[in-house]
Amino acid sequence: MKTAALLLLAALAAPATTFYVTISGLGGEPDYDQRFKMWAEDIASSLKKAGGDSNVITLEAPTREQIRARLGEVAREAKPADSLVLMLIGHGSFDGVEYKFNIPGPDITGAELAELMDRIPAARQCVVNMTSSSGGSIEFLRKPNRVVIAATKTGTEKNATVFARYWAEALRDPAADVDKNESISALEAFRYAQHKTTEFFDTNKRLATEHSVLEDTGKGEGSKDPNPEAGEGRLAAAFPIVRLGANAEAARDPAKRPLLAEKEQTEQAIDQLKYNKAAIPAAEYKQQLTQLLLRLAKVQEAIDKP
Amino acid sequence: MSASVLRAGSLRRVVNPPLLLIFLFASPLHAQTLQDGDTLWKAGRYKEANEIYLGLATLHPENVEYRVRLGMLSLDYGYPDQAEGDFEKALEIKKDDPHALLGMAMAAAELYEGKAAELAHKALEADPKLVDAQALLARLALEDSNNTLASEEARKAIAMDPNCVQAKAVLASLDWLADKKDTPWDPHDARGYLTVGHFFMLNRRYEEAIAYYRKAIALDPNLYPARSELGINLMRLGQNDEAYRQLENCFDNGFKNLPTTNTLKLMSSYDRFTTFKTDSTILVLAKKEADLLHPYFQSEMERDIAAYEKKYRMKLTRPVQVEVYPDHEDFAVRTLGMPGLGALGVTFGYVVAMDSPSGRPPGSFHWASTMRHELSHVFTLTMTGSHVPRWFTEGLAVHEETAASPEWGDRLGLDEIAALKNHQLLPVTGLDRGFVHPVAPPQIVVSYFQAGKICDYIDEHWGWDTLLAMLHDYAANAETGDVIRKELKIEPAEFDKRFLAWLDPQVKTQVEHFDEWKEGMKTVHAALAKKDYDAVLRDGPRLRDDYPDYVEAGNLYEALARAYTEKGDQAAATRQLDRYVHIGGRDPETIKLLARQLVDAGRPKEAAEVLDRLNYIYPEDREMHQMLGGLWFDAGNAPGAIREFGAVLADKPLDPAQAHYDLARAYHLNHQTDRAKDEVLAALEIAPGFRPAQKLLLQLSANEASGTSHRK
Repeated sequence: MKTAALLLLAALAAPATTFYVTISGLGGEPDYDQRFKMWAEDIASSLKKAGGDSNVITLEAPTREQIRARLGEVAREAKPADSLVLMLIGHGSFDGVEYKFNIPGPDITGAELAELMDRIPAARQCVVNMTSSSGGSIEFLRKPNRVVIAATKTGTEKNATVFARYWAEALRDPAADVDKNESISALEAFRYAQHKTTEFFDTNKRLATEHSVLEDTGKGEGSKDPNPEAGEGRLAAAFPIVRLGANAEAARDPAKRPLLAEKEQTEQAIDQLKYNKAAIPAAEYKQQLTQLLLRLAKVQEAIDKP
Repeated sequence: MSASVLRAGSLRRVVNPPLLLIFLFASPLHAQTLQDGDTLWKAGRYKEANEIYLGLATLHPENVEYRVRLGMLSLDYGYPDQAEGDFEKALEIKKDDPHALLGMAMAAAELYEGKAAELAHKALEADPKLVDAQALLARLALEDSNNTLASEEARKAIAMDPNCVQAKAVLASLDWLADKKDTPWDPHDARGYLTVGHFFMLNRRYEEAIAYYRKAIALDPNLYPARSELGINLMRLGQNDEAYRQLENCFDNGFKNLPTTNTLKLMSSYDRFTTFKTDSTILVLAKKEADLLHPYFQSEMERDIAAYEKKYRMKLTRPVQVEVYPDHEDFAVRTLGMPGLGALGVTFGYVVAMDSPSGRPPGSFHWASTMRHELSHVFTLTMTGSHVPRWFTEGLAVHEETAASPEWGDRLGLDEIAALKNHQLLPVTGLDRGFVHPVAPPQIVVSYFQAGKICDYIDEHWGWDTLLAMLHDYAANAETGDVIRKELKIEPAEFDKRFLAWLDPQVKTQVEHFDEWKEGMKTVHAALAKKDYDAVLRDGPRLRDDYPDYVEAGNLYEALARAYTEKGDQAAATRQLDRYVHIGGRDPETIKLLARQLVDAGRPKEAAEVLDRLNYIYPEDREMHQMLGGLWFDAGNAPGAIREFGAVLADKPLDPAQAHYDLARAYHLNHQTDRAKDEVLAALEIAPGFRPAQKLLLQLSANEASGTSHRK
């Protein structure tokens, strides 16, 4: 994807850190405590395995003060070129006015979380709120240049959620990398987790009690089916949550920079062709696509040569 | 479909009792009488008739007659459950009111409940001159295919009232069902023909049923129960346009009972389905799963038809239609008003309707077995002109399931064991009763089992040709007793005795050790919970063999496999799961676990064979298709890999690029270069940087350039 390629080059030009903060809340009963902890650990493990310049922080059932302190540290360390990914796992509540994330001691509100994130200078931010009633937090958390993902469409979906289980799975399953660019974007992980959540309810013949949404325009309610061409999900598509492959290493070789440039040009041409697909006769489209894909394959072959 | 929708046409909802009371006191309606209600009822104005009866019953709560009339109206409107409530209230007012007892009997008959005859007898005891109760006994006997008794009971009714329409309808049905065109008992009455239509429907002779429903509405166009039945049976035979018109006519005229409303609703949703046609088959699948299911259903349907044409030595004259419903409620509409259990499939002449595997919990439904069962009905009904009795067509259908594979069909269940233990199997000449008027719901399941075993027994001892000869006898209107005497050369009672003697050794262990098995299961599962695997391995095998057919939740094959795994004996664990699968275990997760173990043990071919079973149980399992596609690919089975990777793609995968690429690989293996290229382009269109697909594209192009490509 063109956006991903640009992002990769930008990343190479100015190495930056991604701060991952995963917080699992209070389960209320042993079964939930165990599940929340397990999912948080699963996420941390995937992020650590992925490597790269990242700072992985996991907080299990922290108090409000502990959250404030840790996010305060991130605010001090992070630079504008950095990225922040905040992931919340657990139970949440919404009373029609205020969203609260359930933690030991006083709960932390959506507004408070937003304020803490606002203090972090990382220009690109993503918050994945996977709690029950998380839809109620969107209005507090949304902001330009910030991706907000919520496990529930509104604050009134109060049942315990399973979205976090599949979000964790997305970060370690290569199948989530739909465009095979060796990076799982926020949009890809969202779609993966959403698809699996829907399947979970279908297979178990249960009425779906959660409907995840994504908001990255800074002003919306969240969309169940974000479409970058329509403006929703564009930021999320260009926000890599996990990098899987060796592209980054290959790109560090100056001898291969021209090939990378050609690759990027070809990818852009493919994107352009796909964009115009409806206006081109099918046979012609296929012929042009074949040529471009062959060119791209050959360039990639050259890049991959030791 | 929600319960509220199902109740949408309920008569009780058309009127608000408190408001009605005010209305009755304040208007001339209080002067309305039972006769006014009857007149409206006769005119098909159910809603207004109901208002009058309900008003009268509310104003005079001590009056039995008003309450009974209300129940009878509900019964005619197609709400036997609601009618039962009214008759119960009437019996609270007067405990032995003959008409209320008759109403209870009629409601039970509508619901095909075994207590109907007993209630009819009680009504007759309360009023020996109650001819309708006598006629009902005749109807019930004929529903059980007990023609002799039906004739006797009907003649008693005629003796009580020579003009009894329902008794005449039963006697006429006896003649007409036996293809005797001339009968002295033609009722020449719309409700009489409605009853005759019912018997033809019950005997799966839908086209003739339709003809009698037409006669009924020709005599009385306002007889909406007959018009509704006409519409429903037309729908069953796929004559949808007229079916819809007839049902719409009912609905527009206020006859909005559950079967009418739900059938209209189902027919309105037909645009959700898509149809695949060949010269011999019509397959109707829901659009959302059509791409996934089509290859499996199509090939299985063709295989079944080919097998049956050979076995039954006949060719079907037109295409068979199979409709597959992912929503069980849609399928349930197809079986409304029919006797039997909450079925998985149903056959109407050349039309089969069945649940989709997606409509049932994974592992609970073997769709291929069900389809084989239903398609056998198409043959037996066609061969006999639908004269085959229910027990025999069901028995053959059950027999065909396990004839296809011993793993198919139903395992010996708890209901069957209880019936065997309590000597509750029915005599062969009365076996239809177990299907139509079971004394309790489990008797239906037991009757399927018994009928299937009887056909197994005949096949084993007299041969397949004898079963075919029996079908030909039934085609000539012979009765079961005579068929047994003629083809098996023994009396039916002797047949029952010999059959039980043959069956006994097969079920003896399960029946005799059942109580012991139940207790033992508790002990083994307690040991499993305590991780006392030695105890599980000590007691488990014996218990497993006491009831080897038990493959449901908590079965001992899985328990033993777990215990062996925990003890580090993986090979023994795999052997247990292998036994589970071969005896008919169907849990998708367990089957996949076995396949993984076989792969780990270096037995990929067996793993593929094990997984392939799931295609006939729960083809919605994407993980299975992915794994099986890989196994077939590695084994060089290109068509198998194409089918499985095609299924992954049809199931709207999370990773469509990978799915297209896998399918491209399979086509390439099968030397279908053009299709391989299409698929690899589809993969790369989604994911231009997908390295393996890029490599395959380069390879395909290089082959093309060097002229080494193969086309198929």
